[in-house]
Amino acid sequence: MAATRAGPRAREIFTSLEYGPVPESHACALAWLDTQDRCLGHYVNGKWLKPEHRNSVPCQDPITGENLASCLQAQAEDVAAAVEAARMAFKSWSAHPGVVRAQHLTRLAKVIQKHQRLLWTLESLVTGRAVREVRDGDVQLAQQLLHYHAIQASTQEEALAGWEPMGVIGLILPPTFSFLEMMWRICPALAVGCTVVALVPPASPTPLLLAQLSGELGPFPGVLNVISGPASLVPILASQPGIQKVAFCGALEEGRALRRSLAGECAELGLALGTESLLLLTDTADIDSAVEGVVDAAWSDRGPGGLRLLIQESVWDEAMRRLQERMGRLRSGRGLDGAVDMGARGAAACDLVQRFVCEAQSQGAQVFQAGDVPSERPFCPPTLVSNLPPASPCAQVEVPWPVVVASPFRTAKEALLVANGTPRGGSASVWSERLGQALELGYGLQVGTVWINAHGLRDPSVPTGGCKESGCSWHGGPDGLYEYLRPSGTPAQLSCLSKNLNYDTFGLAVPSTLPAGPEIGPSPAPPYGLFVGGRFQAPGARSSRPIRDSSGNLHGYVAEGGAKDIRGAVEAAHQAFPGWAGQSPGARAALLWALAAALERRKSTLASRLERQGAELKAAEAEVELSARRLRAWGARVQAQGHTLQVAGLRGPVLRLREPLGVLAVVCPDEWPLLAFVSLLAPALAYGNTVVMVPSAACPLLALEVCQDMATVFPAGLANVVTGDRDHLTRCLALHQDVQAMWYFGSAQGSQFVEWASAGNLKPVWASRGCPRAWDQEAEGAGPELGLRAARTKALWLPMGD
Amino acid sequence: MSAYNRGTELDLSWISKIQVNHPAVLRRAEQIQARRTVKKEWQAAWLLKAVTFIDLTTLSGDDTSSNIQRLCYKAKYPIREDLLKALNMHDKGITTAAVCVYPARVCDAVKALKAAGCNIPVASVATGFPAGQTHLKTRLEEIRLAVEDGATEIDVVINRSLVLTGQWEGSDFIKTSTGKETVNATFPVAIVMLRAIRDFFWKTGNKIGFKPAGGIRSAKDSLAWLSLVKEELGDEWLKPELFRIGASTLLSDIERQIYHHVTGRYAAYHDLPMS
Repeated sequence: MAATRAGPRAREIFTSLEYGPVPESHACALAWLDTQDRCLGHYVNGKWLKPEHRNSVPCQDPITGENLASCLQAQAEDVAAAVEAARMAFKSWSAHPGVVRAQHLTRLAKVIQKHQRLLWTLESLVTGRAVREVRDGDVQLAQQLLHYHAIQASTQEEALAGWEPMGVIGLILPPTFSFLEMMWRICPALAVGCTVVALVPPASPTPLLLAQLSGELGPFPGVLNVISGPASLVPILASQPGIQKVAFCGALEEGRALRRSLAGECAELGLALGTESLLLLTDTADIDSAVEGVVDAAWSDRGPGGLRLLIQESVWDEAMRRLQERMGRLRSGRGLDGAVDMGARGAAACDLVQRFVCEAQSQGAQVFQAGDVPSERPFCPPTLVSNLPPASPCAQVEVPWPVVVASPFRTAKEALLVANGTPRGGSASVWSERLGQALELGYGLQVGTVWINAHGLRDPSVPTGGCKESGCSWHGGPDGLYEYLRPSGTPAQLSCLSKNLNYDTFGLAVPSTLPAGPEIGPSPAPPYGLFVGGRFQAPGARSSRPIRDSSGNLHGYVAEGGAKDIRGAVEAAHQAFPGWAGQSPGARAALLWALAAALERRKSTLASRLERQGAELKAAEAEVELSARRLRAWGARVQAQGHTLQVAGLRGPVLRLREPLGVLAVVCPDEWPLLAFVSLLAPALAYGNTVVMVPSAACPLLALEVCQDMATVFPAGLANVVTGDRDHLTRCLALHQDVQAMWYFGSAQGSQFVEWASAGNLKPVWASRGCPRAWDQEAEGAGPELGLRAARTKALWLPMGD
Repeated sequence: MSAYNRGTELDLSWISKIQVNHPAVLRRAEQIQARRTVKKEWQAAWLLKAVTFIDLTTLSGDDTSSNIQRLCYKAKYPIREDLLKALNMHDKGITTAAVCVYPARVCDAVKALKAAGCNIPVASVATGFPAGQTHLKTRLEEIRLAVEDGATEIDVVINRSLVLTGQWEGSDFIKTSTGKETVNATFPVAIVMLRAIRDFFWKTGNKIGFKPAGGIRSAKDSLAWLSLVKEELGDEWLKPELFRIGASTLLSDIERQIYHHVTGRYAAYHDLPMS
């Protein structure tokens, strides 16, 4: 017999039946690091960039602390070099037909397939995540992403006609992330013709490896550039000329700060913030399966963050018992061990958990920890926190990985109130075997993704994103593509930064206005007041401002709205919102058509007012007719929104819902006082939003004429119109925390202020930056861009089975 | 078999309250196989443990006393002695948990085991196996005769028409299937059964055994079944009194894996004795 390889321990294991180590060799990862002499630079324009005189940061094994390589830290000039490379590459990359880009992406997918062992061992080695999750999950999904987006690229000319790539995209990734987060964003960007500069945190070799694999494919070396450097480079990258969009993925407060600092800058900003998820466990759920959902969400290396767990009171004890039982069987250990559920995510993550747990305990919470976990740092045991008082500070902050905070609820209605009572809106799952209840909860949750009786499923064709303070950028599916597109013919976004704009005083004071004499002219006296809650009301300030016609005569007085009027208008809009959002698209269309008919009846009055503002009679009549057409068009268009997706490996549909944003604030442009007002009002209402509008400052009277019809046609509060000082009203709306989105068509300074102020609740903002818009043209006045911005997407996963 | 189900008042609300989400259970079944593996000494020790759970089975129409005799010998000496010595496990008395035969072969099995000088229990399928669609009277008589012949464990095929109409029966052990169906022991089904066993234990304190049968052929499969039971029920269920694997060809694959573990070589067919 050959030499015996058996060790002495078999006897003990036979009795104890314990698990042993299943180490995965990471020799190939080390060999790859050796090809770089254990010194990683940046990968720019298809070449390694290793500039001299740079600081370096060690890349360490998060568990052993062993130094794996040193990573050079980029400086401003390296960032500039990367952006320049991407800018040059953009010219040819975007000019090629989509099929060529599709080929490149497919080839990259094949390269990944051939070198997947290198990819998964390197990723697991440096991030500490369980290798099984990287190998079976991330690497496979990365290939699927490339294939899916290759298909999108190949059909781009037909499917996305009327859109063009933005340009160079700056991608910013957080300190702890899976390389998949990068894949989710670079795939759609590259597919539609953008090029990318990714700024990754110090010591992240996997993105560099991916960039190398892509660069070595040949003809398009500069499309994907990766530089690594500290967070202080973020503003430098974002303000590089040529960067058209910054996609930021990371912590909430960093995103907020970036939103403020990028106000008025050239680059558009897409935010994906926070990692917390939510799980709703009702009393009709398969509790054992729901417990596995909790494991998937928080106690595996699949989910990125912690979990807020809401359990129906009647099954609280049973669910807690099963959770605790299950926790005892979880295993944690070195990520490169093939039989662990959880790896380790470094010392910083560990400290965060400890702080959270200590604080929760001091605030009265019970903490349960279990599992087969090495006791030394940086391992964190799976943690279950319960009895945390709802008003305590810990209940408000984001739950870190691997913590689950459980709290009870009594009824489904209460569950929705609790679940929606947080500023975060990422993802959630609903566990209920009652179809009606599950759908009620799924539709009612204010989040980007809802899984019914599952948690954490992902697919390239399903859009993933969030709402509220989780940021409104999307990846995957059609929504992911639109992130990197803009309507064809739109000029490249330019900086409208005004360094001396004082955010504290912009629009703070309202210049006082004096009586300017009586109204004269042939037209009847214009309506007076603020249109709030379905009727004309006197302004809080009890003063008015004169409006002059094109020849300088007094056309009429409008009410001088202020902060309190905005508050009242937003409240009225909120009251009307549930009723309006709950209407079918058909019912909403019927009301928009009724308003269109009313406008046509009022045609002569409207046209004569437009004439007094200097329009030719024919043009004025045309504007009224076009306005009525816009109302009808949006009413019809919104019938065909949302669709069903089919996902590989899932039986059952995924619904892509288009839900209203909530209360939408619209500041209308000065020009086209009627058409622009209606063109903005129509899509906003058609998608189920309620609105607070500031009409044209030059001639708000036309909007007020429309209000007379809205008063009879619409339910109260649906559309509210506040006149007054434009900057002041803009300020009030932009700073309002309970306005869910804002469209601003006005000055560059106003745009900058709106972008800055939106950081408060991270409302999505669409600001014109002082650029005029051709409202009478179909593309700019009624294009698909308005529809995209008037609603948000929600993906609702509905797995089926008997 | 020492654990007996002492029984409890029939409360049908337990059954009506059970919720099983099929797609979620399927996902769990996939995960459990991927998340837990054992290698090297752990694998060898686990495989030897798996041997002690096997109900070494032959249920063929052409069974005769000679192949029953061979089966019983294999049950007594499941792994080649020199391999066990190399693992220092030769004194652990590793045998299969039982041999499982048709009622008419119980006599042969008892005789053969007696001749081999061991007290491995003889299990018998009974009661109109595998369909169970015979009269209660003959079913009971079948059990009585098998016990008379020396069978100490009876795998009863319940009358499934009763189950499908909501008339339940109790037992000490539940088995995934007869092994004669087109689909036999699958992970999703097992997960549901194991969770039911755990619920019953939590409610009554009674431990019910579990026996997957049919289609478990490879050593790798058997490891997955062990970790499934370990994950869902815990170590206390990993003993022959509460866990059996009904299998006929599994044992030879386990022996091959042990051979490979000990020698570092893959065994030829003739290197290991047949069962």
